[in-house]
Amino acid sequence: MSLIDRYVAEVGRHLPGTSRNDIEKELKSTLEDMIEDRIGQAGRPRDEAMEIDLLKEYGSPEKVAETYHPNQFLIGPRMFPMFIMVLKIVGTVLSVLAIVGITVGLSKVGFAGPEFSQVLMQKVFEYAGTAITAFGNIVLIFAILERTLPDSEIKDLNPNEPWDPASLPDEEQPDAVKRGDLIAGVIFGFAGLIMLNFYPEIFGMPLNFNDDENWYFIPVLSEAFFRFIPWINVVCLAQIGLDLYLIRQNTWSNISRMAKILIESAGLAITIILLRIPNIIGFSPESFNSLPIQADDARKAMEILNYIFPFILIIVLIVQGIEIAKSIYGFWKINYKTK
Amino acid sequence: MTNTESLDNVVLELRRGVIVLAVLSQLSDEQYGYSLLKLLSDQGLEVDQGTLYPLLRRLETQGLLESVWKLEEARPRRYYVISADGKKLLPKLKKEWVGIVSVMNKMLA
Repeated sequence: MSLIDRYVAEVGRHLPGTSRNDIEKELKSTLEDMIEDRIGQAGRPRDEAMEIDLLKEYGSPEKVAETYHPNQFLIGPRMFPMFIMVLKIVGTVLSVLAIVGITVGLSKVGFAGPEFSQVLMQKVFEYAGTAITAFGNIVLIFAILERTLPDSEIKDLNPNEPWDPASLPDEEQPDAVKRGDLIAGVIFGFAGLIMLNFYPEIFGMPLNFNDDENWYFIPVLSEAFFRFIPWINVVCLAQIGLDLYLIRQNTWSNISRMAKILIESAGLAITIILLRIPNIIGFSPESFNSLPIQADDARKAMEILNYIFPFILIIVLIVQGIEIAKSIYGFWKINYKTK
Repeated sequence: MTNTESLDNVVLELRRGVIVLAVLSQLSDEQYGYSLLKLLSDQGLEVDQGTLYPLLRRLETQGLLESVWKLEEARPRRYYVISADGKKLLPKLKKEWVGIVSVMNKMLA
């Protein structure tokens, strides 16, 4: 095999199968023409040094191959927005499934038990593996579509489709506040505080048995929970104060961003403590004394109700974690990313 | 990237559009890649083979050129010639070129 043959084969190795043979054939023909020219100019027979000079001049096989297929994308610009959209949808669905799965898994070992951390880690790794597999599959599907789908099949690339510049999304204003959200936050915050401090008995579970006309009410919160009321009040009032400040200022600043992170972190800490403290909810066998059910049924009902509260707390915990992560990322983006 | 490489890239970009017109104008008679390269060079337009060959393939894909393999001197060669669509496009490109040259001459004067 001559040097030129080896060179052509090496260029071909970097080319897609559909056009490889054709390009290889043409490249070999061209190189042979060029070497023939050089033989005439040099007035000596062909030798390896002459081939080496020619190939050096022609360029490395990778570079030559690149000229035939520049900018090869795994997922190109035409498919990328759709790829991101699918990733977001699948990510959201997987996150919900993970929250439910982790909560159910933890409920089996108990939220305050010694196996808590072990099972939590195991479940987190399990869902991380699922997420990576899903990501890989989506990338694979889009990479195949990128290579097989003609432009006409993609709506955004249809030149006959009318396009309106007014349909462009608004430019993101990172410092802008959402006043509607803040006003709603203040109203619900106050309402929650009033209920928690002045009408704690309304936090309970209404029950109805066997189509009985009577409804029975079981209080949910225990004495252990009420010991945290002052801390919950502080966090809620701080959040309301921040919301009012933002409504007035109408813009985010570094101080308000840091205050938000601190308040959210305090809320997260309270949720974790509540989750780790046993008997945080007020269900006991006595809670069911006034109900028209058997002791065995009461025990089962207690198990179910004792399970629901930590479930809610875990969902709150995950939402708080996501909010803190978003706040920290926003702070970093504003202060460091553009610098 | 060094300054020389940047300059080379800018010059390459500048030439790229011109090469399409040059190639179409020279392919009323069929030429194989290397003979076209020399034809352009003889007339003063030096084109890198790494630019010309992919361009020929692209123009063929766009329907502006046609190609056929022929066996000559015991070696197959791919001959290119302007297609019917290419012939229709060439006068428009020439007109566009004259307009560009006129505008650029004014701008650079």
